[in-house]
Amino acid sequence: MHKAKETLREVFFAMLPVVVVVVILQLTLLHLPVEVLWRFFGGAAMVGGGLFLFLLGVQIGMLPMGELIGSALAGQGKLWLLIIFGFFIGFVVTVAEPDVRVLALQVDLASGGVISRSVLVYTIALGLGIFVALAMLRTIFNIPLVYLLISGYGMIFTIAAFTPPHFIPVSFDAGGVTTGPMAVPFILALGVGVAAVLGGKRTTADRFGLVALASIGPVLAVLLLGVIYQ
Amino acid sequence: MIRLLFQDFSHIVVEVAFALVPLLLLFIFFQYVFLKMPREQVLNIVKGSILAFCGLTLFLQGVKAGFFPAGELIGRQLGASTNNWIMIPIGFILGFVATFAEPAVRILTLEVEKVSSGFIPRLILLYTLCIGVSIAVALSMLRVITGWAISYFIIPGYLLALLLTRFAGSSFTAIAFDSGGVATGPITVTFILAIAVGAASVMEGRDPLLDAFGMVSLVALAPILCVLILGIIFQKGGKS
Repeated sequence: MHKAKETLREVFFAMLPVVVVVVILQLTLLHLPVEVLWRFFGGAAMVGGGLFLFLLGVQIGMLPMGELIGSALAGQGKLWLLIIFGFFIGFVVTVAEPDVRVLALQVDLASGGVISRSVLVYTIALGLGIFVALAMLRTIFNIPLVYLLISGYGMIFTIAAFTPPHFIPVSFDAGGVTTGPMAVPFILALGVGVAAVLGGKRTTADRFGLVALASIGPVLAVLLLGVIYQ
Repeated sequence: MIRLLFQDFSHIVVEVAFALVPLLLLFIFFQYVFLKMPREQVLNIVKGSILAFCGLTLFLQGVKAGFFPAGELIGRQLGASTNNWIMIPIGFILGFVATFAEPAVRILTLEVEKVSSGFIPRLILLYTLCIGVSIAVALSMLRVITGWAISYFIIPGYLLALLLTRFAGSSFTAIAFDSGGVATGPITVTFILAIAVGAASVMEGRDPLLDAFGMVSLVALAPILCVLILGIIFQKGGKS
């Protein structure tokens, strides 16, 4: 129960400042119709309440699930299993990630349905899954993070040259939304699994970097989607 | 009013069901093949999944029926006014308050305090991050007004980040690049981005897809640069 209270407090204080700023704006600069203002307050209550329930569900159900799956994979002691399931886990958690859903919805609405939200969600998820698998390979072969970051970003900027311009901002944004409350615990649990298989000989710096590499995948995937749409 | 907020609710329910089913299938597979957990533990996971389902449904519906329309109208009113530069300071303030309250940011600041053995105090990093994100949001609003391409910001930004990694040490580099996501919480994506989309849709020669999106990526860049810069300060001063 303590966790629930803490989460409720966190969500409440995360929502409050934005609501206060909007009220101040309405009193000074804006003249929103009352109906829209109520929509905003109602929406804020739903977003806050929804986020609270979701985070609670993640704590009760998803976090233990991630840890159990991570340690079950580590217990098998087979690296190829970790890589294959790294891909699948990356994919399914991204499909369920709230921020990814919201971005896709917004792109869908802003593009008048040209870039459909389900296509976008699955593209982002595919990109993430592939890069989680690659990131685990990196840990195994002990390749420095910086080399992979440089080549990853290098590929991004190369492909960006061939993508229609209106796909570029969306694809960069896709990299930022995957690191949400759903994906990060799962990916970190996988990282712990890898570390367990490899034995304790790696430094802490190795454990990190998984999240960073994982956010390159979605960017590349959406850029490629743009090339296909062209 | 309530009816407006729950318009097309069934669509969201279906969408969320499709979002969570793959995860559950994966879990069922693991349960039967590897885990074979006792009933009690499975029951907890089922409970958590039901909560997550209800939460995600309510969240997305609130975003779609409440935050998007309100944010877009705010953006339209600001964008259509003659003083549309006001969006820049408003973006700055929204970026600051949204980051200050973000739980993920707090976790990061604690982690950095630990890695630097207290040399980089929590609050210093918190304020640095808030200001970094504020600048990122303000720049995004500037982009909406001027129509400058996102690449002009992202390419120099990441080149700078890669350059800074040479001086920041490997622990800070890893933390920095992992921290890209901490500030891109639901509020930035849902509300602040909706304001930018609204503004871009009323301004002449602006396209929301080209000029409003890209905000999330700028917001993701800010913590990376902040942590790297503090890491350099640590390397210079704290190690002696």
